[in-house]
Amino acid sequence: MTELISALCNIDGTSGDEIAVRDFIISEIDGFCEWKTDALGNIIAFKKGKKPSAKKLMIDAHMDEVGLIITDVTAEGFLKFKTVGGIDISAIMFRRVLINGETAGVICGKPIHLIDKKEAEKPPAADSLYIDIGAGSKSEAEDYVNPGDRAVICGEFTVSNGNMISKALDDRIGCAILIKLIKVDSEYDFYASFSVQEEIGLRGAKTAAYAIDPECALILEGTTAADIAGTDEGLTVCNLGKGPAVSFMDNSTAYDRKFYNAALKSGILCQPKRAVAGGNNAGAVHLTRGGVRTLAISVPCRYIHSSASIANINDCENAYELARYMLNGICGGEIE
Amino acid sequence: MLFALSDADAAGNIREASDLAYDMLKEYTSAEKCDNLTVIGFLKGESDYTLMLDAHIDQIAMTVTNIDDNGFLTVAKAGGIDIRALPSRRVTVHGREKVTAVFCATPPHLARKGVKYTDISEIKLDTALGERAKDIISVGDLVTFSAKPQMLKGSRVTGRSFDDRAAVACLIETAKRLSGKKLPFNVAFVLSDGEELGLRGTRTAAFKINPDEAVAVDVSFGDGIGIADTDCKKLGKGGMIGISPALDRGISNKLISIAKEKNIPYQTEVMGASTGTDADMIAVTREGVRACTLSIPLRNMHTEVEILDIKDLEAVCELLCEYILAGGVKDD
Repeated sequence: MTELISALCNIDGTSGDEIAVRDFIISEIDGFCEWKTDALGNIIAFKKGKKPSAKKLMIDAHMDEVGLIITDVTAEGFLKFKTVGGIDISAIMFRRVLINGETAGVICGKPIHLIDKKEAEKPPAADSLYIDIGAGSKSEAEDYVNPGDRAVICGEFTVSNGNMISKALDDRIGCAILIKLIKVDSEYDFYASFSVQEEIGLRGAKTAAYAIDPECALILEGTTAADIAGTDEGLTVCNLGKGPAVSFMDNSTAYDRKFYNAALKSGILCQPKRAVAGGNNAGAVHLTRGGVRTLAISVPCRYIHSSASIANINDCENAYELARYMLNGICGGEIE
Repeated sequence: MLFALSDADAAGNIREASDLAYDMLKEYTSAEKCDNLTVIGFLKGESDYTLMLDAHIDQIAMTVTNIDDNGFLTVAKAGGIDIRALPSRRVTVHGREKVTAVFCATPPHLARKGVKYTDISEIKLDTALGERAKDIISVGDLVTFSAKPQMLKGSRVTGRSFDDRAAVACLIETAKRLSGKKLPFNVAFVLSDGEELGLRGTRTAAFKINPDEAVAVDVSFGDGIGIADTDCKKLGKGGMIGISPALDRGISNKLISIAKEKNIPYQTEVMGASTGTDADMIAVTREGVRACTLSIPLRNMHTEVEILDIKDLEAVCELLCEYILAGGVKDD
């Protein structure tokens, strides 16, 4: 699975521009399921199992990642930009970027020598930063980049000590798990959505869930792990290496309690998400039509939404196992 | 050459860049490895007069001051670093083996009140090694940025440690061009250590060489949005000839007149007092040395994404060669 996650993470696909990720996923799942794409760009798939399902289940993972959108080119040939999705300023200051998957650039700011002590304590305003691609003028820059083009903060996938360090782990891990679920033989029929635009307001999942019209849903995600030095025990949310986190509640969803309890009793290494924080596509999916019973299975990620998120490989394997357990339990009728 | 020098590290006891620069310099000069990281190359001329060219080989770095049981490190700065840009940045820890580590970022649910950046010791470094960290990493080990150099559009490039490897590259290139030529005087090429820690290495090197005049080649602030025109010079418009009360005006004037005469692009950089470069130290060595600066405009100084224009390196090399062949200020 690590190889698959690596391949997915190294593709660029900011919200609203997921085509390269989508094409890769289609090349993976084609032949293993029926699939189509919808008007927004979601992939909606149907996996035929050996038996019909007791309940209509949808499993979702989002394809998009946070990034930048170019808004303007200055007279000097610098690029102005806005963030797409929630990104901390410190995660973009003095970073290398790749625009349209081909043009290298650097996010510039004032060097430390020219900043007074007070200014140095606060992150700079996002609009004081700009991208330099090496162009000496507006017209030279416009040969390569135009407003509306997308950029990602570079963060190549690496493995260290059983952990993965990369950009886009949120949510290419979920995509990898879902691809794997589709590619193995399934006991039961289920639907899958690889959705767009999660990071800008859970937009893709909304239309995907409407189209699928499921009774139950599993959301495969990455979530904040704050198990880092200096965080009080009570605020760590979840820990790397202790299995996927399952949520009872977050900022957008109160999850199905029976699913939550079934996950914790599955015997597969997992942990409750110990905070009411964050949100994911469950927020859109569980309110679809007459309501959908929903559970999120989230892989703990440190430094989520940065170019160096860290997640544990075993947690991904356990998330896959838990997703499979829930799939069989819900579709087989064992999980009420 | 610049890319190879940028991608090697030199700070504290890490000698990669020093060793690489020595191997390059010994092709063209009689070169020797000196104290710590310093490398000195020497070209004999036709008089006893000696010009010293200086560029520092060391780079900004950090050093490990504590290792906790969960594999998180506390580090101290060795050189000026903007700590606001550290969270979620990957760096290399030079332990028993090289380890990729990531500076902790405050998780969103804890960052609502805003984060204040006051001291680097508050931003822990995550090795993701857990308790194994202590087997591989020791207190005192160095931590360096890790971005690889890369071409941008036009003649611009980006990478780490261009401060001052760009100048090191200029000195080696200058040695190459002067090697085998009849020189009016001796030229010492000093790749010095400890600049980022307070101009330390050049002090002993200048004492040893006892030069008659010196030019320190360093980097200075390139232009960018929000940076006052008075604080910077433009990339691609040539090297910045230093003018300051602490520098020798004769050398500044001679560099300017040679640049004009030979049609080499240049800019001037006027400073109010000391220059913050090795020139300050060289000038007050022994009985005093006539010293000046020649600087390469650089964006994002002290980050791993410094940017410069290759045209400026070419202009600096040309100016140094022409200046030396014209006899410097030997007869002025």
